[in-house]
Amino acid sequence: MTTYRTLSSNFSWALDELDWPVTSEVGPGLSGVIATGTRVSWLDPSSGALEYRGVPIEELAGMHSFEEIAHLLITGNEPDEDKEAFSAFRDQLRASRVLPDDVIALIRSLDSQIHPTSILRAGVSALGCHEMSHEDELSGERHWRELRIIAQVAALVVQIIRHRAGKEIAEFQSENELAFEVLRAIQDTDPDAKDVRSLNLLWVLFADHGLDAPTFTSMVVASALADPYYNVVAGLSALRGHRLGGASETVLEQILPLDTPENARSWVASTIASGGRIAGFGHRLYRIPDPRVVILRKEVAAQARRKGKSELFDIARAVEDEAQRHLAPRGVHLNINFYAALLFHLLGADTPLLPCLYMVGRMAGLMARVHEELENPRLYRPLGHYTGYPVRHITPEKGR
Amino acid sequence: MKPEAGNQKVQTYQRGLEGLEVTDTRISLIDGVKSRLIYRGYPVDELAENCSFEEVTYLILHGNLPNQQEYSQWKDELREWRIPPKEAFDSLSIIPSNAHPLAQYRTMLTIAACHIPEAGRSDMQAQWRRPARILSWSAALAAGAIRHLNSQAPLPPKDDLDFSANFLWQALEREVSPEEKSAFEASLIVQAEHGLHAAAFAALIVISTGADLGSAVLAGMGALSGVRHGGANQLAYEDISKFECAEEARVWARKQLDEGYRFPGYGHRVYKCPDPRVAVLESHAKNLLASKGMEDRWEIYSAVRAEIEGALSPKGIYANVDSITGLIYAPLGLPVSSFPIPFCLAIETGWMAHCLEYLPHGAMIEPGAVYLTSS
Repeated sequence: MTTYRTLSSNFSWALDELDWPVTSEVGPGLSGVIATGTRVSWLDPSSGALEYRGVPIEELAGMHSFEEIAHLLITGNEPDEDKEAFSAFRDQLRASRVLPDDVIALIRSLDSQIHPTSILRAGVSALGCHEMSHEDELSGERHWRELRIIAQVAALVVQIIRHRAGKEIAEFQSENELAFEVLRAIQDTDPDAKDVRSLNLLWVLFADHGLDAPTFTSMVVASALADPYYNVVAGLSALRGHRLGGASETVLEQILPLDTPENARSWVASTIASGGRIAGFGHRLYRIPDPRVVILRKEVAAQARRKGKSELFDIARAVEDEAQRHLAPRGVHLNINFYAALLFHLLGADTPLLPCLYMVGRMAGLMARVHEELENPRLYRPLGHYTGYPVRHITPEKGR
Repeated sequence: MKPEAGNQKVQTYQRGLEGLEVTDTRISLIDGVKSRLIYRGYPVDELAENCSFEEVTYLILHGNLPNQQEYSQWKDELREWRIPPKEAFDSLSIIPSNAHPLAQYRTMLTIAACHIPEAGRSDMQAQWRRPARILSWSAALAAGAIRHLNSQAPLPPKDDLDFSANFLWQALEREVSPEEKSAFEASLIVQAEHGLHAAAFAALIVISTGADLGSAVLAGMGALSGVRHGGANQLAYEDISKFECAEEARVWARKQLDEGYRFPGYGHRVYKCPDPRVAVLESHAKNLLASKGMEDRWEIYSAVRAEIEGALSPKGIYANVDSITGLIYAPLGLPVSSFPIPFCLAIETGWMAHCLEYLPHGAMIEPGAVYLTSS
């Protein structure tokens, strides 16, 4: 039997086929473990390759809307392949943005300053109560169900943004794509085409990235044949962690108070010298620069210039250079959160909204993988290795 | 020993990560050959016979049975958190009452999670302050969800009742007999921990991201709500509640066996022998049913079980705990669609223990996926 050297940089994470059982290296946090075989996307951390359904990310970013990429990830078909199917998909997606009044009322009944990810999780859960009654069979057109949830999560985020800003409930126009509607909620006016492009770019880059914690949690929950809203509630629970969704907020909390590139450099140097962390650096998988960073850096530069905030970009560059100088020799590189956080900020998003905005994009890959899991589900049930007490017995006075 | 130390460098495992050792654990030993379930060294039948649910939760979380002082502090701490945020109950009024009780329960928990103390903290001190709150809020909200099924308002807790008696009071609006309480409590105790099953694994992934303990519990509940997992006790009871007599049930079971039906409540990924939890609950269920004039349910259950085990035990398929808990919950008067809730309530204990054990050293859990290139 082949032993896959999954922790070696020679392993490309692509194989003709996979025969179970598999034998692989296993590192901390299950790195190296082959949890599943997939046709959704290819991620090779050692070469930096990222492909959605066989198309390199460099060809997709900036060329397509999030709606098109969601279609690609879920169905495996590029929008141009079957224009009719794509229009049906898109219409379904947009129609699903209308939420039950009760769910909107629930969101608005909560204190608007509660963290948006907590409100989003509650909203998804309440929505599940509306969509799935206990008589509901979980078979049937899963495909449409998953599509619907992607749009519903985006719609919930829109309504949370409006509530947070103390604005009225958003009404959706069917001719407007998701990115347009989310930006309209953030900016309180019709967004311009360049901002729509930027948000689509962010979502396309975030749409899928292997089995990150929200995605893998959702797959595990799906494998127990839970209702699809529950998959998402579980996935959103993983988003709350400071090692994950919280990281992009920390980027802004660190960068925005810096006033000049020079001060930024000295802040980085002193933070690293004192053993502190620079948010937006380091990734479990990558020992080389994340390929998505290059694409985003360019977009941030252009948007900063356009919005008269070139200084912010210069400060970010200074942080990047200085931190890279110290950290690159240790194999720690810039990750996608760094420039993504700045781009969300330039688009007008309030810092605590970042994990939710990220999640809208990730929902496409998450749902595509849940869909794939459910084609042939097998319950995820690993083991613990028992190192505890040998058998002992309860004495009359018990432990006391 | 560090939790990671159990990871061999190379492991062999099946789909669903079957056979993969995720981490070292001192919490429980599930022996699927000798039919044993052991929490922190103690066989589960001894715990069910001698201990309260509060003692067992302390044991599972902390590693030893509490001494007198620890026990009374733990009970006080649990009692202090019996009143969840009002907003969580309020949300019931806008949740459709035909939604599955677990979905309603989950929604209340997500609303409660918007109002937790120290929300932003994920240090160990803050995490250790959470289990009592999570257990007691969950119990109150679960009882509220069950009441909501009959469009009844939630009831306030009774301070003189212990955890399980108070839960039953808040769910049923009556003080139960000692026999009822001990049967229910035994069901909670035997279901309080069961290794890294799918739900516990989901909780572990979430806690590994630096999330709060309540978020991990919510993810666990997600997996548990699946029909393959925690929903099985409801389905198992529904299967046997359609029959008038044992003979009718026997005929049905034989026919289903011929057709290769997968009986909910039978067979287990780990136990290829009788499930030790079933033996603990048998006399409780039988006596409780008899005291309510429901002896025929026991006869029907026994007939179906004898048929299934007679045919399938050579393949290692026996009745598991989900086959029998409904036979305690039904005579108590809990609605059938709420049967997964007590299981969920009990096993949160084990999830929290696994999370708290993993946290101090555990790396973020992120396995890989292999991209398949064949057409």
